[in-house]
Amino acid sequence: MDLLRKIRELDLFQRTLDPVIALSIIAMLDVFLFLIVGAWTVGGGETMIAGLVGKYVLGARTLARIPFWSLVFKPSWAYWKIYISLGMGFGAFVGAVLSREFYWRVPRHLSEWVMITIGGLLMGIGIRLSFVCNVSTFFGLTPEMNLGGYLAVSGIIAGAWVGTLIYKKVMEA
Amino acid sequence: MITVTGQCVAAFMFGSVVGLLVQRSRWCNTAALRDAMLFKTFRNAKALLVAMMILTLGFTAFISVGNGNPMRFDVGLNQFVGLFLFGIGMVLAGACTVSSWVKTGEGNIGALWALLFLIIGLFVSSLLWSYTYWPPAGSTMTGQPNLAGLQLGFADALTLQQKTGVPAIVFGIVQFAGLLFLYRAILKKEKARGGSDKPSGGC
Repeated sequence: MDLLRKIRELDLFQRTLDPVIALSIIAMLDVFLFLIVGAWTVGGGETMIAGLVGKYVLGARTLARIPFWSLVFKPSWAYWKIYISLGMGFGAFVGAVLSREFYWRVPRHLSEWVMITIGGLLMGIGIRLSFVCNVSTFFGLTPEMNLGGYLAVSGIIAGAWVGTLIYKKVMEA
Repeated sequence: MITVTGQCVAAFMFGSVVGLLVQRSRWCNTAALRDAMLFKTFRNAKALLVAMMILTLGFTAFISVGNGNPMRFDVGLNQFVGLFLFGIGMVLAGACTVSSWVKTGEGNIGALWALLFLIIGLFVSSLLWSYTYWPPAGSTMTGQPNLAGLQLGFADALTLQQKTGVPAIVFGIVQFAGLLFLYRAILKKEKARGGSDKPSGGC
Protein backbone atom coordinates (compact mmCIF):
# COMPACT_ATOMS: atom_id res chain seq x y z
CA MET A 1 0.00 0.00 0.00
CA ASP A 2 2.93 2.25 0.76
CA LEU A 3 4.39 1.54 -2.69
CA LEU A 4 1.04 2.32 -4.35
CA ARG A 5 0.88 5.63 -2.47
CA LYS A 6 4.43 6.47 -3.58
CA ILE A 7 3.58 5.66 -7.21
CA ARG A 8 0.47 7.84 -6.99
CA GLU A 9 2.59 10.70 -5.68
CA LEU A 10 4.81 10.63 -8.77
CA ASP A 11 4.60 13.77 -10.87
CA LEU A 12 3.36 11.66 -13.78
CA PHE A 13 0.14 10.87 -11.90
CA GLN A 14 -0.29 14.29 -10.33
CA ARG A 15 -0.07 16.53 -13.37
CA THR A 16 -0.98 16.40 -17.06
CA LEU A 17 2.00 15.37 -19.15
CA ASP A 18 3.08 17.61 -22.02
CA PRO A 19 1.76 15.84 -25.17
CA VAL A 20 4.96 16.72 -27.08
CA ILE A 21 6.97 14.71 -24.50
CA ALA A 22 4.42 11.87 -24.50
CA LEU A 23 4.31 11.62 -28.30
CA SER A 24 8.11 11.87 -28.57
CA ILE A 25 8.50 8.85 -26.27
CA ILE A 26 5.81 6.98 -28.20
CA ALA A 27 7.54 7.80 -31.51
CA MET A 28 10.87 6.45 -30.26
CA LEU A 29 9.20 3.25 -29.07
CA ASP A 30 7.38 3.03 -32.41
CA VAL A 31 10.75 3.08 -34.23
CA PHE A 32 11.80 0.16 -32.02
CA LEU A 33 8.53 -1.67 -32.80
CA PHE A 34 9.11 -0.98 -36.53
CA LEU A 35 12.46 -2.75 -36.23
CA ILE A 36 11.17 -5.88 -34.53
CA VAL A 37 7.70 -6.40 -35.99
CA GLY A 38 6.18 -3.35 -37.74
CA ALA A 39 4.99 0.22 -37.10
CA TRP A 40 2.17 1.11 -34.69
CA THR A 41 -1.30 0.52 -36.08
CA VAL A 42 -4.73 0.07 -34.52
CA GLY A 43 -7.10 -0.60 -37.46
CA GLY A 44 -5.50 -3.99 -38.22
CA GLY A 45 -6.07 -5.18 -34.67
CA GLU A 46 -9.64 -3.89 -34.72
CA THR A 47 -10.29 -5.65 -38.04
CA MET A 48 -9.05 -8.90 -36.51
CA ILE A 49 -11.20 -8.34 -33.40
CA ALA A 50 -14.22 -7.86 -35.72
CA GLY A 51 -13.36 -11.19 -37.38
CA LEU A 52 -12.98 -12.97 -34.06
CA VAL A 53 -16.31 -11.57 -32.83
CA GLY A 54 -17.90 -12.65 -36.14
CA LYS A 55 -16.42 -16.12 -35.72
CA TYR A 56 -17.82 -16.37 -32.18
CA VAL A 57 -21.29 -15.14 -33.18
CA LEU A 58 -21.69 -16.84 -36.58
CA GLY A 59 -19.43 -19.84 -36.19
CA ALA A 60 -16.17 -20.66 -38.03
CA ARG A 61 -17.89 -22.39 -40.97
CA THR A 62 -20.26 -19.52 -41.77
CA LEU A 63 -17.48 -16.98 -41.45
CA ALA A 64 -15.22 -18.97 -43.79
CA ARG A 65 -17.87 -18.55 -46.51
CA ILE A 66 -17.37 -14.76 -46.44
CA PRO A 67 -14.52 -13.97 -48.91
CA PHE A 68 -12.96 -11.18 -46.83
CA TRP A 69 -12.51 -13.44 -43.80
CA SER A 70 -11.21 -16.40 -45.80
CA LEU A 71 -8.91 -14.54 -48.23
CA VAL A 72 -7.77 -11.32 -46.52
CA PHE A 73 -8.09 -11.65 -42.74
CA LYS A 74 -8.31 -15.17 -41.35
CA PRO A 75 -9.40 -14.65 -37.73
CA SER A 76 -6.64 -15.62 -35.31
CA TRP A 77 -5.75 -14.68 -31.74
CA ALA A 78 -2.07 -14.91 -32.71
CA TYR A 79 -2.22 -11.59 -34.61
CA TRP A 80 0.10 -9.17 -32.77
CA LYS A 81 -1.82 -6.01 -33.65
CA ILE A 82 -4.77 -7.06 -31.45
CA TYR A 83 -2.51 -6.77 -28.41
CA ILE A 84 -1.57 -3.16 -29.14
CA SER A 85 -5.26 -2.23 -28.80
CA LEU A 86 -5.77 -4.32 -25.67
CA GLY A 87 -2.55 -2.87 -24.23
CA MET A 88 -3.76 0.69 -24.85
CA GLY A 89 -6.97 0.01 -22.93
CA PHE A 90 -4.98 -1.59 -20.11
CA GLY A 91 -2.35 1.19 -19.94
CA ALA A 92 -5.05 3.86 -19.90
CA PHE A 93 -6.91 2.00 -17.13
CA VAL A 94 -3.73 1.85 -15.01
CA GLY A 95 -3.01 5.53 -15.68
CA ALA A 96 -6.57 6.56 -14.83
CA VAL A 97 -6.67 4.51 -11.60
CA LEU A 98 -3.26 5.73 -10.39
CA SER A 99 -4.13 9.35 -11.10
CA ARG A 100 -7.63 8.92 -9.59
CA GLU A 101 -9.23 9.83 -12.90
CA PHE A 102 -11.15 6.59 -13.41
CA TYR A 103 -14.90 7.05 -13.19
CA TRP A 104 -17.87 5.98 -15.28
CA ARG A 105 -18.86 8.59 -17.82
CA VAL A 106 -22.09 8.15 -19.78
CA PRO A 107 -23.26 10.46 -22.62
CA ARG A 108 -26.31 12.36 -21.38
CA HIS A 109 -28.11 13.43 -24.54
CA LEU A 110 -29.70 11.35 -27.27
CA SER A 111 -27.93 13.49 -29.89
CA GLU A 112 -24.54 12.39 -28.42
CA TRP A 113 -25.51 8.70 -28.66
CA VAL A 114 -26.63 9.19 -32.26
CA MET A 115 -23.43 11.02 -33.25
CA ILE A 116 -21.22 8.42 -31.53
CA THR A 117 -23.11 5.57 -33.24
CA ILE A 118 -22.87 7.12 -36.72
CA GLY A 119 -19.25 8.13 -36.07
CA GLY A 120 -18.29 4.62 -34.96
CA LEU A 121 -19.94 3.06 -38.01
CA LEU A 122 -18.20 5.49 -40.38
CA MET A 123 -14.82 4.81 -38.76
CA GLY A 124 -15.34 1.06 -39.17
CA ILE A 125 -16.42 1.37 -42.81
CA GLY A 126 -13.47 3.70 -43.48
CA ILE A 127 -10.93 1.31 -41.99
CA ARG A 128 -12.31 -1.62 -43.99
CA LEU A 129 -12.34 0.34 -47.23
CA SER A 130 -8.83 1.80 -46.92
CA PHE A 131 -7.09 -0.99 -44.96
CA VAL A 132 -5.61 1.75 -42.75
CA CYS A 133 -6.67 3.87 -39.77
CA ASN A 134 -5.59 7.27 -38.44
CA VAL A 135 -2.70 5.71 -36.48
CA SER A 136 -1.18 3.84 -39.40
CA THR A 137 -1.67 7.00 -41.48
CA PHE A 138 0.23 9.35 -39.17
CA PHE A 139 2.54 6.94 -37.30
CA GLY A 140 3.33 4.37 -39.99
CA LEU A 141 2.60 5.06 -43.65
CA THR A 142 3.43 8.78 -43.89
CA PRO A 143 6.75 8.53 -41.98
CA GLU A 144 7.59 5.55 -44.26
CA MET A 145 6.82 7.96 -47.14
CA ASN A 146 4.22 5.56 -48.52
CA LEU A 147 2.07 7.13 -51.24
CA GLY A 148 -0.97 5.63 -49.49
CA GLY A 149 -0.07 7.69 -46.41
CA TYR A 150 -0.29 10.97 -48.33
CA LEU A 151 -3.65 9.95 -49.83
CA ALA A 152 -4.86 8.93 -46.38
CA VAL A 153 -3.70 12.22 -44.77
CA SER A 154 -5.53 14.19 -47.50
CA GLY A 155 -8.64 12.06 -46.93
CA ILE A 156 -8.66 12.36 -43.14
CA ILE A 157 -8.10 16.14 -43.21
CA ALA A 158 -10.94 16.59 -45.73
CA GLY A 159 -13.14 14.24 -43.68
CA ALA A 160 -12.34 15.98 -40.39
CA TRP A 161 -13.21 19.32 -42.02
CA VAL A 162 -16.60 18.01 -43.21
CA GLY A 163 -17.13 16.34 -39.82
CA THR A 164 -16.35 19.64 -38.07
CA LEU A 165 -18.98 21.44 -40.19
CA ILE A 166 -21.58 18.78 -39.30
CA TYR A 167 -20.53 18.88 -35.63
CA LYS A 168 -20.89 22.69 -35.57
CA LYS A 169 -24.37 22.50 -37.15
CA VAL A 170 -25.53 19.88 -34.63
CA MET A 171 -24.14 21.89 -31.71
CA GLU A 172 -25.85 25.07 -32.94
CA ALA A 173 -29.21 23.33 -33.45
CA MET B 1 13.51 -13.62 -35.81
CA ILE B 2 10.89 -12.94 -33.15
CA THR B 3 8.30 -15.64 -32.31
CA VAL B 4 4.56 -15.08 -32.59
CA THR B 5 4.27 -15.00 -28.79
CA GLY B 6 7.16 -12.53 -28.66
CA GLN B 7 5.38 -10.30 -31.20
CA CYS B 8 2.19 -10.36 -29.13
CA VAL B 9 4.05 -9.61 -25.87
CA ALA B 10 6.02 -6.75 -27.48
CA ALA B 11 2.79 -5.36 -28.96
CA PHE B 12 1.00 -5.52 -25.60
CA MET B 13 3.89 -3.82 -23.79
CA PHE B 14 4.05 -1.11 -26.45
CA GLY B 15 0.28 -0.62 -26.31
CA SER B 16 0.32 -0.39 -22.50
CA VAL B 17 2.95 2.37 -22.52
CA VAL B 18 1.05 4.20 -25.28
CA GLY B 19 -2.21 3.92 -23.33
CA LEU B 20 -0.59 5.26 -20.17
CA LEU B 21 1.17 8.17 -21.92
CA VAL B 22 -1.87 9.16 -23.97
CA GLN B 23 -4.07 9.02 -20.86
CA ARG B 24 -1.67 11.16 -18.85
CA SER B 25 -1.10 13.70 -21.63
CA ARG B 26 -4.76 13.93 -22.78
CA TRP B 27 -3.46 13.75 -26.35
CA CYS B 28 -6.04 13.04 -29.02
CA ASN B 29 -5.71 12.71 -32.79
CA THR B 30 -9.29 13.88 -33.34
CA ALA B 31 -8.62 17.01 -31.29
CA ALA B 32 -5.37 17.58 -33.20
CA LEU B 33 -7.33 18.05 -36.44
CA ARG B 34 -10.65 19.35 -35.09
CA ASP B 35 -9.19 21.99 -32.74
CA ALA B 36 -6.80 23.25 -35.42
CA MET B 37 -9.77 23.73 -37.79
CA LEU B 38 -12.49 24.81 -35.36
CA PHE B 39 -10.65 26.75 -32.63
CA LYS B 40 -7.25 27.42 -34.26
CA THR B 41 -5.53 25.80 -31.26
CA PHE B 42 -2.60 23.47 -31.83
CA ARG B 43 -1.71 21.68 -28.57
CA ASN B 44 -2.39 18.23 -30.02
CA ALA B 45 -1.33 19.05 -33.59
CA LYS B 46 2.16 20.14 -32.42
CA ALA B 47 2.72 16.82 -30.64
CA LEU B 48 1.57 14.95 -33.74
CA LEU B 49 4.03 16.86 -35.93
CA VAL B 50 6.94 16.23 -33.53
CA ALA B 51 6.16 12.50 -33.49
CA MET B 52 5.99 12.43 -37.30
CA MET B 53 9.37 14.17 -37.53
CA ILE B 54 11.02 11.60 -35.21
CA LEU B 55 9.35 8.72 -37.05
CA THR B 56 10.30 9.99 -40.51
CA LEU B 57 13.97 10.20 -39.58
CA GLY B 58 13.92 6.90 -37.65
CA PHE B 59 12.08 4.86 -40.28
CA THR B 60 13.97 6.18 -43.31
CA ALA B 61 17.33 5.82 -41.52
CA PHE B 62 16.68 2.15 -40.84
CA ILE B 63 15.19 1.59 -44.31
CA SER B 64 18.43 3.06 -45.76
CA VAL B 65 20.48 0.30 -44.13
CA GLY B 66 18.01 -2.46 -44.97
CA ASN B 67 16.36 -2.79 -41.55
CA GLY B 68 12.80 -2.44 -40.30
CA ASN B 69 9.43 -3.75 -41.44
CA PRO B 70 7.73 -1.20 -43.74
CA MET B 71 4.04 -1.81 -44.43
CA ARG B 72 3.59 -3.48 -47.78
CA PHE B 73 0.22 -3.01 -49.38
CA ASP B 74 -1.14 -1.53 -52.55
CA VAL B 75 -1.95 2.14 -52.77
CA GLY B 76 -5.31 3.14 -54.19
CA LEU B 77 -7.99 5.80 -54.12
CA ASN B 78 -9.67 3.65 -51.48
CA GLN B 79 -7.17 5.12 -48.99
CA PHE B 80 -8.47 8.63 -49.68
CA VAL B 81 -12.16 7.66 -49.65
CA GLY B 82 -11.82 5.39 -46.60
CA LEU B 83 -9.98 7.97 -44.51
CA PHE B 84 -12.43 10.67 -45.64
CA LEU B 85 -15.26 8.64 -44.10
CA PHE B 86 -13.06 7.88 -41.11
CA GLY B 87 -12.32 11.61 -40.62
CA ILE B 88 -16.04 12.48 -40.54
CA GLY B 89 -16.68 9.57 -38.19
CA MET B 90 -13.97 10.43 -35.70
CA VAL B 91 -15.16 14.04 -35.34
CA LEU B 92 -18.79 12.92 -34.86
CA ALA B 93 -17.81 10.20 -32.38
CA GLY B 94 -15.38 12.56 -30.62
CA ALA B 95 -12.73 9.84 -30.62
CA CYS B 96 -10.34 8.11 -32.99
CA THR B 97 -8.99 4.57 -32.75
CA VAL B 98 -6.50 5.54 -30.02
CA SER B 99 -8.72 7.70 -27.87
CA SER B 100 -11.65 5.26 -28.04
CA TRP B 101 -9.45 2.57 -26.39
CA VAL B 102 -7.89 5.07 -23.97
CA LYS B 103 -11.20 6.62 -22.96
CA THR B 104 -12.75 3.16 -22.58
CA GLY B 105 -9.90 2.38 -20.16
CA GLU B 106 -10.88 5.52 -18.21
CA GLY B 107 -14.47 4.32 -17.85
CA ASN B 108 -16.07 6.24 -20.73
CA ILE B 109 -19.13 4.32 -21.92
CA GLY B 110 -19.54 6.57 -24.98
CA ALA B 111 -16.06 5.55 -26.18
CA LEU B 112 -16.89 1.88 -25.64
CA TRP B 113 -20.08 2.42 -27.66
CA ALA B 114 -18.01 4.02 -30.47
CA LEU B 115 -15.67 1.01 -30.45
CA LEU B 116 -18.60 -1.38 -30.58
CA PHE B 117 -20.08 0.37 -33.62
CA LEU B 118 -16.66 0.68 -35.24
CA ILE B 119 -16.42 -3.12 -35.08
CA ILE B 120 -20.00 -3.50 -36.38
CA GLY B 121 -19.26 -1.10 -39.26
CA LEU B 122 -16.08 -3.00 -40.06
CA PHE B 123 -17.80 -6.35 -40.06
CA VAL B 124 -20.87 -5.30 -42.05
CA SER B 125 -18.76 -3.60 -44.73
CA SER B 126 -16.52 -6.69 -44.93
CA LEU B 127 -19.56 -8.52 -46.35
CA LEU B 128 -19.38 -6.27 -49.44
CA TRP B 129 -15.76 -7.13 -50.22
CA SER B 130 -15.15 -9.13 -53.33
CA TYR B 131 -11.99 -10.44 -54.99
CA THR B 132 -13.17 -9.33 -58.40
CA TYR B 133 -14.67 -5.83 -58.10
CA TRP B 134 -13.79 -2.53 -56.46
CA PRO B 135 -13.73 -1.34 -53.65
CA PRO B 136 -10.72 -2.42 -53.58
CA ALA B 137 -10.71 -5.78 -55.31
CA GLY B 138 -8.00 -8.24 -54.40
CA SER B 139 -7.50 -9.06 -58.08
CA THR B 140 -6.59 -5.44 -58.90
CA MET B 141 -3.99 -5.20 -56.11
CA THR B 142 -0.91 -6.44 -57.93
CA GLY B 143 1.66 -3.89 -56.78
CA GLN B 144 1.51 -2.22 -60.21
CA PRO B 145 -0.55 0.82 -61.29
CA ASN B 146 -4.01 -0.23 -62.46
CA LEU B 147 -6.10 2.84 -63.14
CA ALA B 148 -9.19 0.85 -64.16
CA GLY B 149 -9.14 -0.68 -60.69
CA LEU B 150 -8.32 2.70 -59.09
CA GLN B 151 -5.02 1.27 -57.85
CA LEU B 152 -1.73 3.15 -58.03
CA GLY B 153 0.66 0.30 -57.31
CA PHE B 154 3.20 0.46 -54.54
CA ALA B 155 5.52 3.33 -53.61
CA ASP B 156 7.36 4.28 -50.42
CA ALA B 157 10.81 5.32 -49.16
CA LEU B 158 12.17 1.85 -49.93
CA THR B 159 10.99 1.85 -53.55
CA LEU B 160 12.34 5.41 -53.95
CA GLN B 161 15.71 4.18 -52.72
CA GLN B 162 15.63 1.15 -55.03
CA LYS B 163 14.60 3.14 -58.10
CA THR B 164 16.88 6.16 -57.67
CA GLY B 165 19.83 4.68 -55.79
CA VAL B 166 19.58 7.59 -53.32
CA PRO B 167 19.41 6.44 -49.66
CA ALA B 168 15.90 6.68 -48.15
CA ILE B 169 17.20 8.94 -45.37
CA VAL B 170 17.78 11.73 -47.92
CA PHE B 171 14.06 11.72 -48.80
CA GLY B 172 13.34 11.43 -45.09
CA ILE B 173 15.31 14.61 -44.38
CA VAL B 174 13.28 16.47 -47.03
CA GLN B 175 10.01 15.33 -45.41
CA PHE B 176 11.42 16.18 -41.97
CA ALA B 177 12.18 19.72 -43.19
CA GLY B 178 8.60 20.11 -44.45
CA LEU B 179 7.15 18.99 -41.11
CA LEU B 180 9.57 21.25 -39.23
CA PHE B 181 8.46 24.19 -41.37
CA LEU B 182 4.82 23.51 -40.40
CA TYR B 183 5.77 23.16 -36.72
CA ARG B 184 7.69 26.44 -36.71
CA ALA B 185 4.78 28.19 -38.45
CA ILE B 186 2.49 27.04 -35.62
CA LEU B 187 4.95 28.24 -32.97
CA LYS B 188 5.13 31.62 -34.69
CA LYS B 189 1.34 31.85 -34.76
CA GLU B 190 1.14 30.98 -31.07
CA LYS B 191 3.84 33.50 -30.18
CA ALA B 192 1.97 36.21 -32.06
CA ARG B 193 -1.18 35.28 -30.09
CA GLY B 194 0.71 35.28 -26.80
CA GLY B 195 1.47 31.76 -25.51
CA SER B 196 0.78 28.10 -26.26
CA ASP B 197 -2.55 26.34 -25.89
CA LYS B 198 -3.88 24.64 -22.80
CA PRO B 199 -5.61 21.21 -22.91
CA SER B 200 -8.96 21.58 -24.66
CA GLY B 201 -10.71 19.14 -22.35
CA GLY B 202 -9.99 16.09 -24.46
CA CYS B 203 -11.78 14.99 -27.59
